[in-house]
Amino acid sequence: MSLPPPTAVLEGGRKAAIQSRRKNLTFDKVSFMAVFLGIPLAIYLVFVIWPFLQAFVYSLTDWSGFSPNYKFIGLDNYARIFTDDQFLKALSNNVILLIIVPLVTVVLSLVLAALVTVGGSSKGQVKGLKNSSFYRVVSFFPYTIPAVAIGIMWGQIYDPSGGLLNGALNALGLNFKDYAWLGNTNTAMACSIFVIIWGFVGFYMVLFIAGIKGIPAELFEAARIDGAGRFRTAVSVTIPMIRDNIQTAYVYLGIFALDAFVYMASLFPNAGGPENSTLVMSQQLFFTAFQRGQFGMATAMGVILAVATLLFSGLVFLVNKLTGGTDGGRL
Amino acid sequence: MNVQQSFARRGFLRGALATAVLAPMGGALASCASGGTTTTGPTGTVSDTNPFGLADNSTVDAVIFKGGYGIDYVDFAGSIFNKNHQGSTAKISPSTAISTELQPRFAGGNPPDLVDNSGAQSIGISTILDQLEDLQPVVDAKNLEGTPIKDTLYEGVLAPGTFNGKLVAINYVLTLFGVWYSASLFEANGWAPPKTWDEAFELGEKAKAKGKYLFLWGKEAASYYLELALSSAIKEGGDEVRVALENLKEDSWKHPALTKVFEALDKHVKAGHFKPGGSGTAFTAAQAQWSNGQEALLYPSGSWIENEMKDQTKADFKMTGAPVPTPSSSPKMPYEALHSGGGEPFIVPSQAKNKAGGKEILRIMLSKDAAANFAKTKLAPTVVKDTVPADGFGSTALVSQTKMLDAAGKNVFNWQFLDLYGMNKDVLVVWNAFLDGKSNAAKLAEDMQKMSDKIRNDSSIKKVEIK
Repeated sequence: MSLPPPTAVLEGGRKAAIQSRRKNLTFDKVSFMAVFLGIPLAIYLVFVIWPFLQAFVYSLTDWSGFSPNYKFIGLDNYARIFTDDQFLKALSNNVILLIIVPLVTVVLSLVLAALVTVGGSSKGQVKGLKNSSFYRVVSFFPYTIPAVAIGIMWGQIYDPSGGLLNGALNALGLNFKDYAWLGNTNTAMACSIFVIIWGFVGFYMVLFIAGIKGIPAELFEAARIDGAGRFRTAVSVTIPMIRDNIQTAYVYLGIFALDAFVYMASLFPNAGGPENSTLVMSQQLFFTAFQRGQFGMATAMGVILAVATLLFSGLVFLVNKLTGGTDGGRL
Repeated sequence: MNVQQSFARRGFLRGALATAVLAPMGGALASCASGGTTTTGPTGTVSDTNPFGLADNSTVDAVIFKGGYGIDYVDFAGSIFNKNHQGSTAKISPSTAISTELQPRFAGGNPPDLVDNSGAQSIGISTILDQLEDLQPVVDAKNLEGTPIKDTLYEGVLAPGTFNGKLVAINYVLTLFGVWYSASLFEANGWAPPKTWDEAFELGEKAKAKGKYLFLWGKEAASYYLELALSSAIKEGGDEVRVALENLKEDSWKHPALTKVFEALDKHVKAGHFKPGGSGTAFTAAQAQWSNGQEALLYPSGSWIENEMKDQTKADFKMTGAPVPTPSSSPKMPYEALHSGGGEPFIVPSQAKNKAGGKEILRIMLSKDAAANFAKTKLAPTVVKDTVPADGFGSTALVSQTKMLDAAGKNVFNWQFLDLYGMNKDVLVVWNAFLDGKSNAAKLAEDMQKMSDKIRNDSSIKKVEIK
């Protein structure tokens, strides 16, 4: 194997370079392309694109999941799903999550992030509240606990007879003896949403803190000199400057809200909560596939879930653009 | 070092790296495509000691659900297998999620030789019915002691594994259903387990006077009360109740016997005989409130309950089982009649490479030594008779099980439709609401009927006729 000496490449004109690039498909070049272009592309095709296509194909079949045989039944699965009241219930629960979880989490973590970075004393250097690093660490704790553990832990806290919550409420003199927070339709969803937000706020707070730290301190100082209070600073300086971070957080949280499997499955094992009030699409998918043995139907649910996720991300980008976002944002 | 050499080596390394990365991918692709091929392994000579023609020097791949019973009882049978068939080995692997773990192997035509299809994530049996071996030869074969296995089994234990007349699963553990109570507590208060729902109501009032409840439940186990209701109604109305439900008949949930039971339960709910808050309580916590806190008198469950709550049962609790009460004092089946199901259904997939090996391990498990070992270590009877001594290894629950079984004789029944059509998730929703007092007897029957109708009318769900 031979390579032209390095100087030869530099001396040759542009035309020669192109020619030599075309002609000299040496093993080195080919293997370089194979490793850095071919392999990633192949992996992407085999493990991302191909399963997507496969899933769509399976969604058109009556595959049971446990046998190699299936036959095509067209769009029957989709027709069934959209007339199935349970799936529609699950879909509407996901929509509730989609509306509430990202909004509350983003607002809450933004407020907390602003407080620990720029919410401190209005004299002197721009800084956060006292002991802000302590708050930062503490609020990040929940994110380090696995979601399943969070679900089990909160299941215990919400326990009607021995739970921490009812114990505290009773100690305050309120009569909450045997009130099943997760067993009543009017509280089950709210309680689950609380758990999810509790688990996520810390992480997004840290994300926003990083964003805010990237804003030059002069901007805050200038705003302060102009007489802007803390709220005005947050709305007019902080939020516009970390708009992209917020959009990213919103999309991630939305994708999560459309899934929410782990939290719901650990808070309500084997079922969808009281009157299916916390049933989510991914749970219905799981039950359909592994308990009912209807993988064809389950993959169709998966396809719907994927489409819903794409639609949501598109919507967030669109809203950001319409409200004057910079370049449509970056993920 | 020579520059050219160095380059050559680098090129070689790159090439090697590329092949290393690509090779397993090619393998993965090849294995994706290989689904559906049937392989029949080599067979050995059939004899009395080798009734299924196990090949010499073969390996048996068994995947066993690792739940309350662990897998050591299969390991026990595996070591006998290794001893009896020199050169062959049994590979026993545990799994806590049978369905998700084995789905690719079934779909790929490469299932294990023996599967204990149990646990919350078991494979819905109706989806794999036509991919399972007929296990009749196993029960027809002689056990290690030389007696045909079918002569050593309890009454009715093969029914839960028989679908469309084919024995596809052998349930290894005998499970009895009933209401469980603390014999010491009942004795101290002069109470007796109720035989009718009227007696149950009286007992509920007495419990209330003592500041206790009659029943309690946990959110994942609300379905235990469906089991209680079905047992009671089948005893009251006879086998026709069961057959109609099994085959998802119209109005099968509105049978008078079921209506009476639902109304009796409703009366208990409305009278506050159920500990409130069950729909938000984890079932293990709820069960501990019964076995340790003694907040409720009765708990309907399967006979696994003693083993399950072993660490959380009050000392001197003396857990004892009794048949479930019936609406009238003259039910069609005697009070002693029992819902006897099976636990741990063992299956042998038709596409397995060493089916003979899977069957052989089953045969060993159904022989005396392995069955006696199970009863002794797990304090639960297998489907093999006479493995529990009179003192039940010191367990009151085990003694009461043997008594209940003997009293029931041939009056045992079982149903399959709940598992067959994967109804558990929907059942939980309906029953949690009912036990919580948010619905009533009529609505309960309505909800259950709707669930049954939905399955019947769904042409995508394969139906199995059950007699």
